[in-house]
Amino acid sequence: MKTVDLTTRIKGLVFKNPVTVASGTFGTTGEYAGYVDYRKLGAIITKTITIKPREGNPMPRICETAGGMLNAIGLQNKGLDDFIANKIPYYAKIATPLIVNIAGESEGDFAKLARALQKHSRVVKAIELNLSCPNVEKGGAGFMKKRRLMKAAVKAARAETDRLLIAKLSPELGDVLEIAGEVLDAGADALGLINTLKGMAINIETRRSRIANITGGLSGPAIKPVALRYVYEVKKKYAVPVIAAGGIMTVRDALEFIIAGADLLAVGTANFVNPRATLDILEGMTEYCQRHGIRRIEELRGSFRHV
Amino acid sequence: MKRVDETVTIQENKRINGKYYKLVFKSARLARGVQAGQFLHVQIRPDAVDPFLRRPFSYYRIQHDRIEVLYEVLGRGTELLAGLGKGSHLKIMGPLGKAFTQQVRGKKRILVAGGVGVPPLVFLAEKNPVDYLLIGTKSRAEVLPKKELSKVRAEILHATNDGSYGVRGFVTALLEKIIQKEGAECLHIQTCGPAPMMNAVMDIAKREGIPGEASMEESMACGVGACLGCMVKTPEGWVPSCIEGPVFSFDRLVRTCA
Ligand SMILES: Cc1cc2nc3c(=O)[nH]c(=O)nc-3n(C[C@H](O)[C@H](O)[C@H](O)COP(=O)(O)OP(=O)(O)OC[C@H]3O[C@@H](n4cnc5c(N)ncnc54)[C@H](O)[C@@H]3O)c2cc1C
Ligand SMILES: Cc1cc2nc3c(=O)[nH]c(=O)nc-3n(C[C@H](O)[C@H](O)[C@H](O)COP(=O)(O)O)c2cc1C
Ligand code: FES
Repeated sequence: MKTVDLTTRIKGLVFKNPVTVASGTFGTTGEYAGYVDYRKLGAIITKTITIKPREGNPMPRICETAGGMLNAIGLQNKGLDDFIANKIPYYAKIATPLIVNIAGESEGDFAKLARALQKHSRVVKAIELNLSCPNVEKGGAGFMKKRRLMKAAVKAARAETDRLLIAKLSPELGDVLEIAGEVLDAGADALGLINTLKGMAINIETRRSRIANITGGLSGPAIKPVALRYVYEVKKKYAVPVIAAGGIMTVRDALEFIIAGADLLAVGTANFVNPRATLDILEGMTEYCQRHGIRRIEELRGSFRHV
Repeated sequence: MKRVDETVTIQENKRINGKYYKLVFKSARLARGVQAGQFLHVQIRPDAVDPFLRRPFSYYRIQHDRIEVLYEVLGRGTELLAGLGKGSHLKIMGPLGKAFTQQVRGKKRILVAGGVGVPPLVFLAEKNPVDYLLIGTKSRAEVLPKKELSKVRAEILHATNDGSYGVRGFVTALLEKIIQKEGAECLHIQTCGPAPMMNAVMDIAKREGIPGEASMEESMACGVGACLGCMVKTPEGWVPSCIEGPVFSFDRLVRTCA
């Protein structure tokens, strides 16, 4: 069998393959190390970090829905200082490129986070801006619903870092194509598509929400067609690298996104169901390419046939 | 450490009384080094998206590579599980989580069990010297068959809500009696069951100054500390019960209104 070249390049960064993990679904330091050799991944994306530690939302925070789940974790994390003291040294030992996902309540927060991470540019290869987390009433959502501030956040981060800058969007924010244009103008190098869609589920016995926060972010196979559509439409309109997320469970899902034009594939909720999902997808991708006589993943990327 | 996610074949899966089903399969890797209180994370239909997430179940009994699980049908996942026959496959991660303290020196040990908390405590009582095993159920139909309890080396006391077996009322009434008889100073409690039962047990333990452990039952997604969905409140904040628990010392648990 011929080897398949899965190398993916984004603005000077080289990823040995396009498979990464979606923010908030792969832990912070080695939770999946017993199941997955992190060195085999194309990149690792961290859970969102904020400047100060965040306690997170009350319980229950998750519930299963048809073909997916709702979550309202509330961006629980130990904050920037802990990340720099404890997480950066962990990732420094792993050659896989690290993408750090950040969120703030103001453009100043984004600037401060980007500046702090820039100092660790040997380890931090890219910064992903979480512009859409639907669970943080005062922070992400309230702030991000305001498009002007969203642009300001991208600009502020851009001014502080030369790292690959990814703006992660949610369709909740309004017209994704329009917003994509705005954040690109503001200095983003790439787009993350998509974050979760806001949803809810009611326990009919208690008539209460099954999530303490009442609403939560829907993820998993249920949102895949939506994510795929956005990746396709954005790729058609802009020459911009895209990190795709949304219901990527199997190699078939992954290939659909590649054909639609995705550059990296972020495996999210699938990790919870199958801790080896990333590696299964990688193996399946190589097999598919061999079967179809594809020698470089580049040949497949964006090869969608309109007729 | 290498972690196990293994496809196993069901050897036995049948109803044993008015409440529980018993699931039996073999896996040397999933059985290795397991202690009572640890759990398995089960993908009930490995090739389907329904049920979507895995479901956590306690280890009930291990003999060499033979693993037994006792479960109650509560919803969609356990209903589908109950429908699976011999020869069906499950995909299982394990052993996960922290176990109960196995050896407690210088104390009389009381285990207080209810509902789906019975299996791990029977496991604990089979493997360790324990003084009392208190089991609370709704009625006689839910009481485990004698055979299932024959290897427990402890005094077993039952409480049923309707009085059809053992004493009438809640299992906490049994606990109060033992405290009166033995004196609080020499006791140690380990509990697993529905939240209201465990809360009542912990209230008594607190009042009497009795140390102990509770095994928490939160819905889980990942089972490995990655999703932050299965949190339990401690003095240091919310921590994932799948890795820091499910067993917690009483003094680490901060009550949240539920
Ligand atoms: C560490 C741990 C060990 C467990 N051990 C056992 C065991 O040995 N035997 C056993 O029968 N069950 C056990 N459970 C509970 C079991 O996981 C749930 O009963 C199961 O997930 C329900 O799935 P379902 O799809 O049938 O029900 P769902 O439709 O998901 O829920 C049905 C009902 O069960 C409740 N429920 C859902 N998840 C849980 C949960 N994790 N804990 C308690 N109630 C829940 C729901 O609130 C609902 O009322 C354990 C749970 C944990 C966290
Ligand atoms: C439990 C959970 C936690 C998440 N936490 C974050 C987060 O902290 N930051 C973020 O940008 N996205 C977060 N996400 C969104 C995912 O990164 C991803 O965009 C989304 O889940 C869609 O992909 P999926 O369907 O493959 O999970 C989270 C998703 C889940 C399910
Ligand atoms: S189930 Fe995901 S952190 Fe415990």
